[in-house]
Amino acid sequence: MRRLRKNLVVIAGLLTLAYMLLPNVVVMLFSFNRPAGRFNYSWREFSTDAWRDPCGVADLCGSLALSLQIAAWATLGATALGTMIAFALARYRFRARGAINSLIFLPMAMPEVVMAASLLTLFLNMGVQLGFWTILIAHIMFCLSFVVTAVKARVMSMDPRLEEAARDLYAGPVQTFLRVTLPIAAPGIAAGALLAFALSFDDFIITNFNAGSTVTFPMFVWGSAQRGTPVQINVIGTAMFVIAVLVVVAGQVAAGRRKRTDVS
Amino acid sequence: MTDSTHTGGDVRLSGISKSYGSFTAVHPLDLTVPQGSFFALLGASGCGKTTTLRMIAGLEEPTTGTVFLGDRDVTDLPPYKRPVNTVFQSYALFPHLNIYENIAFGLRRRGITSVKKQVGEMLDLVQLGDKASHKPHQLSGGQQQRVAVARALINHPQVLLLDEPLGALDLKLRRRMQLELKRIQTEVGITFVHVTHDQEEAMTMADTVAVMNGGRVEQLGAPADLYENPRTTFVANFLGTSNLIEAEVVEAASDVVVTAGGGTLRLPANRCSAPTTTGGRLLVGVRPEKITLAHADDAGAIAGGRNRVTGRIVDTSFIGVSTQYVVDSPAGAALQVYEQNIERDSRLAPGAEVVLHWNPAHTFGLDAAQSVLAGTVGDAGLDEAEDAA
Amino acid sequence: MTLTDTTPAPPAARTRSARKRLVPYWLLLPGVLWLLVFFALPMVYQASTSVQTGTLEQGFRVTWHVATYWEALAEYWPQFVRSLVYAGTATFLCLLLGYPLAYLIAFRAGRWRNLLLVLVVAPFFTSFLIRTLAWKTILADGGALVGALDALHVLDVTNWLGWTQGDRVLATPMAVVCGLTYNFLPFMILPLYTSLERIDGRLHEAAKDLYASPATTFRKVTFPLSMPGVVSGTLLTFIPASGDYVNAELLGSTDTKMVGNVIQSQFLRVLDYPTAAALSFILMAVVLLMVTVYIRRAGTEDLV
Repeated sequence: MRRLRKNLVVIAGLLTLAYMLLPNVVVMLFSFNRPAGRFNYSWREFSTDAWRDPCGVADLCGSLALSLQIAAWATLGATALGTMIAFALARYRFRARGAINSLIFLPMAMPEVVMAASLLTLFLNMGVQLGFWTILIAHIMFCLSFVVTAVKARVMSMDPRLEEAARDLYAGPVQTFLRVTLPIAAPGIAAGALLAFALSFDDFIITNFNAGSTVTFPMFVWGSAQRGTPVQINVIGTAMFVIAVLVVVAGQVAAGRRKRTDVS
Repeated sequence: MTDSTHTGGDVRLSGISKSYGSFTAVHPLDLTVPQGSFFALLGASGCGKTTTLRMIAGLEEPTTGTVFLGDRDVTDLPPYKRPVNTVFQSYALFPHLNIYENIAFGLRRRGITSVKKQVGEMLDLVQLGDKASHKPHQLSGGQQQRVAVARALINHPQVLLLDEPLGALDLKLRRRMQLELKRIQTEVGITFVHVTHDQEEAMTMADTVAVMNGGRVEQLGAPADLYENPRTTFVANFLGTSNLIEAEVVEAASDVVVTAGGGTLRLPANRCSAPTTTGGRLLVGVRPEKITLAHADDAGAIAGGRNRVTGRIVDTSFIGVSTQYVVDSPAGAALQVYEQNIERDSRLAPGAEVVLHWNPAHTFGLDAAQSVLAGTVGDAGLDEAEDAA
Repeated sequence: MTLTDTTPAPPAARTRSARKRLVPYWLLLPGVLWLLVFFALPMVYQASTSVQTGTLEQGFRVTWHVATYWEALAEYWPQFVRSLVYAGTATFLCLLLGYPLAYLIAFRAGRWRNLLLVLVVAPFFTSFLIRTLAWKTILADGGALVGALDALHVLDVTNWLGWTQGDRVLATPMAVVCGLTYNFLPFMILPLYTSLERIDGRLHEAAKDLYASPATTFRKVTFPLSMPGVVSGTLLTFIPASGDYVNAELLGSTDTKMVGNVIQSQFLRVLDYPTAAALSFILMAVVLLMVTVYIRRAGTEDLV
C-alpha cells in the first residue's frame, strides 16, 4: 500500500502517456485492416494491401509531396526571417522594442481560426488567387514567432564575450558571425526550424481557409473524413511516425556515443 | 604581428574617457605603460578599470581621447585590426571548438594555414599538450585559464590585456597561476596590462600598479611605493590596512610635528601628500605592522625619537604568525597593531594599558579633507561602485 | 600629446557607430514587415469586413453596420459559450493529466527521461487529423472502451451530467472534450516539464528537513515554483482549443458545434463574410481579454 502511494505519480504519469500513445497504436493497427466499406473505423481482417501500394489512392501522394514542399519552403523562410529578428531582439537596444515583442507574441496568443479568417479577408479584398503561394505566405507568418522564440532563447544565453574574443582574435564582423555566433546559435536555429517544419507540415486550420482548391496532406485527410478514409492514410501516418522515432533515437545514440569518446 | 620586439610596445592613453549617458565610467585619463612591463589596474568593481582595458582592446569606443600603441594612433581601429589580445574574464573559450582550434583561432583568421608548429609550442608553454583535442568544458578552471592565455599569446601581440584572469579560480590555484603568469611574461617579454580587484594579486605580479577609484587613477607607482607611501585615504585603506589619526599641525619644517589626542607625533615632510601649514589639519597614517606594542610598565625602555601613543587594548586575536591587537587611545579609537609572535608578552591582554611606538619615517601624512573610511570594506563609495557595475 | 577633456570622437568612429545603430533595423525589417502585412493588416481588413453589408453577387461595402455583431452573438451565443466551456474543461483536464507525467519525467524518470520525452513528442509525427480520426475507432459505439464504461456505470453518471447520451460516447460533448484534451496535452506537458526540471532537487530536501510532508512540499514548494509552466501550459492549451473546430467536426454532432465551426462554415460554405468576420473578431477579443487578465493575475510576464 505504501509502495503504491509512493508510486502514485508514476502510475498516473504512465496512464497519461498511454492515453497519448493509444491513437498511434490504433492508427498503426488499422494500417493493416481491410475495411468493409469506405471508412476504416472498424476492424475486419488483416491485410498488407495498403502497405504494398501506399500511393494507390488518387491524389494522396501528390498532396503529401505538396505538404512536404510547402513545409520545406516555409521552414526556410520562417527560419531566415525569425533568426534575424531573434538576433536583433537579443543583441541590440532600439526603439519600438516593446511593440515588436508584442507583434511576435500575438500570433502565438491568437486562436488559429482568427488568423486564418483574417488572412482570408485580406486575400479576398485584394483579389488574390488562393493556392500554393497563399498557403506558403500564411505558413511563414505563423511559424515565424515560434522560430523567434526558440532562437532568441539560445542567443540570449550566449556569452557576448565569445564574440568579443573572436573580434579580439582578428576575426572581422563576417568571420565572427560565421565562425562563432552561428555555430553557437545553431542548436537554437535548428530547434526553431524543426518546430517550423512540424507546424507547417501538420497545419490544417490556416491552410483550410487559405488553400482555395489546393489540397495539402492534412486537407486530404480532412476531405477523406467526409468521403471515406483509405487505409493508405494510416500507412503514411505510421511510416512517418516510425521514421521520425528512429531518426530521433539514432540521433540520441550518436550523441551519447560522441560524448563518451570525447571524455576518453 | 612581427614587431613585438620593436620599441612600439608602449601603450599611451591620452585624455581618454568613457561616458554612458550621464554616467561617467572613466574620467579623462593619461597613462603610459612602458614596453615590456607588467602593469596592473587595481580597483573595486565599477571603478572603470575594465572599461579602460576594453578601450585599449578596441571593444569599447572612448568618448574622448586617443589610444596609442607606440607612435601609432589606434583609436579608430576595430579590435580585429589591433595588435593587442585579451584574456577575458571567465575566459570566453569557444565552446564549439576544441583546445587546438581555440588556440589556432587567431592565426587562422589572419590567413596563416600552417599553424601546427606554433600551436604545439603554445600547448607546451602552458603544459597542455595532451589536451589538444578536448573541448573547453572538459577542462578544469586552471586549465581553461591557461588555454585563454595561450590563445592570446600565440598571436605575439604587442600588448596582452588580462581582465580579471584569475577571478574564477580558488585561492590556492590563484597563487600558482600568479607565478605562472609572471613566468610567462618574463619569458615572452610582452607588455601585460592586468585588471584586478585583488590588491595582493596586483602587488605580487605587477611592476607598476595604478589604483583606480570612481573612474579616476588615485595613485600610480611601484607596489612597495604605493604601500609605504599612499597619497590618498582610498589607497591607504584599499591596499592593506592603515591607522589614520586626525591631527593638528604645530610645526612644518623638514619634519612635520603634529598633535593628536594630547600627544605629539612627527613625520618627514616629504611623506606628506597634503600641504602643511601650522594650525592646519592633517591625517597621520601608519601601517599596523610598523607599530611595536609595549606594556605601560615598560614605557621607560622605549628608545627616544620614536612616535608614541598611549592606549588600552580592547581586543586581541591570534592569527598564527602574528597577533592582532585593537587599541583605543585618546588619539584615535580602534587602532590596529600586528605583532609577530616571536616572544609573546602575556600581559598584553584586553584591558592592559599599553604604549604604541614606531619609527617616524614610517609615518605618512594625508589631506584631512578626505573621508577616513574611503576604500575600507563597507565604504559607501565602494558600494556605489558595486551598484554601477 | 595635449590632454583635453573634450576631444571629440573622430569622424571615422562616428560613422562606424552610426552604421552599427542601423543594424537591428535591417535585421528586423523583413520579418516585421511580413508580420505587419500578413498578420496585423489582415486584422484591419477583418474589422472592416465585419461592418460591411452586401451580397456575394453585388459585392460587399463598408456601411458601418455594427448590428452584425449583435445579430451574430444573438444567433451563435450557444456555440460561443460551448467553445469556452469545452476549451476550459479540456485545459483543466490537460493540467490534471499532464502534471503527473511532467513530474514523473522531471524527477522520477532517471535514465528513462529522454525516452519518455521522445514518447511525449512522438505522436506529433503522425498528422493530428489521422490521430483524431483514430478516436472514432476507440470511442466507437459498442466498442470495448464504451462497453467497459457502461459496465462500470460511468456512462450513467456522464449521462446524468449531460456529457453523453444513452450508450453512445461518440458525437457527444465528452468525445469532443476528450479529443481536445488529447490533442493539446503535449502543449501542456512540455512547458510544465521545462519549469519543473529547473527546480533544484535540494529544495525538496530542504522542505522535508523543515518538517514538510510530501503533500505540503508539493503544495508549498514544487507547485508554486512550477507556476510559469502552469501559466504558459494553460495558455498554450486554452487558446488553440477555444478556436478549434476539428474535434467538434470529427468527433461531435450538430449539438456540439463550437464557434470555430461557425466561423469556418460562414466563411467557406455560407460565404456570409461579415458575420464570420464579426464572430472571429469577438473570439479574438474575448481570448485576448481573458489571456491579459490571466497573465496579470498569475503575475508572469515572460511566457512561452
